[in-house]
Amino acid sequence: MTALIVIPAFNEEEALAGTVASLQDLPSGFEVLIVNDGSTDKTGPLAEQLARTSRVPLHVVHLPVNSGIGAAVQTGYRYAAAQGRFKYVIQFDADGQHDARYLVPMVQKCEAEGLDLCIGSRFLAATPEGFQSTYSRRIGIRFFAKLIGLLSGQRVTDPTSGYRCAGPRAWQRFAEHYPEDYPEPEALFWCARNRLKVAELPVVMHERQGGVSSIRQLKAAYYMIKVSMAILFDRIRRLEVRA
Amino acid sequence: MMIQITAELLMAVGGAVAFMITLYWVRRRELREKYAVGWIVLAFLLLLIGLFPSVLKTIAEASRLSYPSAVLFVALTLIYLYSFSVSVSLSNQYRRNIRLTQQLALLEERVRQLEQKLNTPPAPPPGR
Repeated sequence: MTALIVIPAFNEEEALAGTVASLQDLPSGFEVLIVNDGSTDKTGPLAEQLARTSRVPLHVVHLPVNSGIGAAVQTGYRYAAAQGRFKYVIQFDADGQHDARYLVPMVQKCEAEGLDLCIGSRFLAATPEGFQSTYSRRIGIRFFAKLIGLLSGQRVTDPTSGYRCAGPRAWQRFAEHYPEDYPEPEALFWCARNRLKVAELPVVMHERQGGVSSIRQLKAAYYMIKVSMAILFDRIRRLEVRA
Repeated sequence: MMIQITAELLMAVGGAVAFMITLYWVRRRELREKYAVGWIVLAFLLLLIGLFPSVLKTIAEASRLSYPSAVLFVALTLIYLYSFSVSVSLSNQYRRNIRLTQQLALLEERVRQLEQKLNTPPAPPPGR
């Protein structure tokens, strides 16, 4: 069993080294791919340097121009498709929000339950713990969870979480089609609606170590509308996967 | 003799100018022939309406619109259709760009791996 951890990185020179260091205790079978999304800081050279010293196999690809989070993550899926030796592809943030200790349980859960997509959820634990985003964002997250539940019948609690593990049925499709900006809820909805097996794993997240969130206050309204419409648009598309 | 400026005259002049602009840019190879066809048709329509205002008047009367609102309706329809087609081709272009960017990055990674295997000094990574 092999898994590829995809780390999209746009101007993450502050946090990247710490994130890679947190992955060094992973068992064999895990490999890491840093997708440098046209960074304008030292992220690129830093990633190359980390690749030379990492104990866990670490690969780096450089998108020559900044292409956005969706395109960067999809590059990871396309890398996995080209390599052909990975069963799972895991999306993992560069900025230190995601905790590496859930990587093995996440893959184990996928294996044990035959999941196509496993999402690390901040809101599943019995007691709230760790960083659960701001109040206004939690309202937005709950809205998307409701919307996805209503349109697909899939119960989810953290649809915007970027901490997720995709099985072959999901990521091979993502390699061909993946949403552009703010892709997480839409990609999840596609899986749920096409009857792929989706589940969540409770995780604790940290506050970001550096960089800035891709969603700033002013863009919040656009984010809500764009993602809602994208989900509604996807709802009127033809189903692609047959059970 | 004073030339009276009318909508018809403006449209005839506009049509002629549109013709010239289109031909100029196609000649410089900065406008694809594919798009030039549409612009030539538009210039031709403008000229036609400018030179023979009765055409539009007939349409206006048949559709029970006043002349100005008929002009506005036709113009807005054309603008809408054209802008929409631009949005569609931009979306296509965007998708192709992303695909090319990704493929370039993946190939560049493979080249670096091969170079390392050949024991030649690796190329410096792109970026600043």
